[in-house]
Amino acid sequence: MIQATSMKPTPPPFHFSRRQFLRDGARVAAMTGLGTLVGLTAARTRGHGTVWQIDPQKCVRCGLCATSCVLEQSAVKCVHAHAICGYCQLCTGYFEPEPNDLNTGAENQLCPTAAIRRSFVEDPYYEYTIDEGLCIGCAKCVEGCNRFGNGSLFLQIRHDRCVNCNQCAISKVCPVDAFRRVPGSQPYLLKTTSHGS
Amino acid sequence: MSELSRNRLFSRRGFMRRAAGTAAAGATLVSLRALAARPEATNPWAYDDTIYRRTDPKLVKYEEKARFSVAHSSPRCICLTKDERLVVGAGRFVCDYTLDGKLLSEFSLADEVRCIAERDDLLYVGLREHIEVYERSGKRKEVWDTPGSKSYFTALAVSEKDLFAADAGNRVVLRYDRFGKLKGRIGDRRKEPPIPGFIVPSPFFDVALAPDGLLRVTNAGWHSVEAYTFDGDLEFAWGKPGAAIENFCGCCNPIKLAFLTDGRVVTFEKGIPRVKIHGPDGKFESVVAGAESFPENAKVCGPNDCTLGGLSGVVDSKGQIYILDLVAANVRRMTRKPTAT
Repeated sequence: MIQATSMKPTPPPFHFSRRQFLRDGARVAAMTGLGTLVGLTAARTRGHGTVWQIDPQKCVRCGLCATSCVLEQSAVKCVHAHAICGYCQLCTGYFEPEPNDLNTGAENQLCPTAAIRRSFVEDPYYEYTIDEGLCIGCAKCVEGCNRFGNGSLFLQIRHDRCVNCNQCAISKVCPVDAFRRVPGSQPYLLKTTSHGS
Repeated sequence: MSELSRNRLFSRRGFMRRAAGTAAAGATLVSLRALAARPEATNPWAYDDTIYRRTDPKLVKYEEKARFSVAHSSPRCICLTKDERLVVGAGRFVCDYTLDGKLLSEFSLADEVRCIAERDDLLYVGLREHIEVYERSGKRKEVWDTPGSKSYFTALAVSEKDLFAADAGNRVVLRYDRFGKLKGRIGDRRKEPPIPGFIVPSPFFDVALAPDGLLRVTNAGWHSVEAYTFDGDLEFAWGKPGAAIENFCGCCNPIKLAFLTDGRVVTFEKGIPRVKIHGPDGKFESVVAGAESFPENAKVCGPNDCTLGGLSGVVDSKGQIYILDLVAANVRRMTRKPTAT
């Protein structure tokens, strides 16, 4: 009969299999990569600290955003605050002041590049969305919407396009100093109530 | 002139003169450069509706004969009493004027006056959520129950037995008896027989009694005027959207109606503030006052906020039209030009 002894069992010799080594190595590499990515992103926003943005309450829809950006097609785009929109049948941001008819005919549209999509919701409501690929930031629709509507269309610098110049070329010519630097963590100045009330 | 020492080229005076000249020239150059660098003022994408803000003089058949200021700020509504007095609701005040603009009396309320109607020497005053009844002296007789928290009364019309209240908050015209009992609803959307429902994007929603015995209601979101029986049957509608003079402009117009004795309709618009006359069937006839007559109104009701501004008005027994400018806080008396055909 074998008697139980108080001796502790000897641990097995420490060694890695090749598979374990590769697995752990891959984990370390992935974590390092993720950390680097997070660090770089943080450094990008914190390093510059701020980005350019348009204050929609100051903007006077002068049209210079379309022509003064250093990019071939301006980084300034019209954006739409759907929560403010009245979904009007006769959208004064979409239609010419005296349209032939309330349809999507090119002759009826205000936008010089047909960048606003009009889709039927229910009688007499229509939804208006911006095709940013076509929008040149001329603000013609913004003016129409502000003049007769709720002011739900407004201009913003889109940061997927903006190269964040030290001195924004549009800000230099903006007649009302509507351009200002905002924290990179909150890069948009969105409208939440009509006419800035 | 004193002789200069050998090592001095300029006198002190000469030096100062040259320095001032150089500074002036420099400043001029900098200014010119700054001006040259300024971008073109013209905007190739400008939203241009100026042609619609100018009225063809041939279309204007009325002229202003008198004007008076309202005693209080924020006027919102006007009504004509049976004894030909103008009652104006401004802020929390109800003011009684002669047709010449002489203030006869006034009384105040606890809240802002939104709409007024008169019948049998009783003033029916619409506040935001309920209706109150006053004697002409200002003594309150009745306070009616509110139909709901969303209510926003914008117009009242009183017939012999009924009172019709336009409720912009609920987008419906409520039919009461003269003692405040709710009798029915007019304009609720339905399929059979079809009623499109009222679209009220901004708090301008009018109901009026027409000489033909039907109600007329502004359906501003549809840019139309709709005729209803007292029981709520839609008889006909007219109106077309557009900035041209014969149409109704902006997001939501017309905002107010009045009637000439022969049934022609006086329409009041905001955005492009203008007053026009249409036939009973809606056919455009003439202009009472174009946008150029209301510069302050046009300015306010523009890029800043289209929900402000606007006009209201009434017609007296002689066919004179009284226009209440909600921004300028005045009333104009318009009479038809003698030369107008």
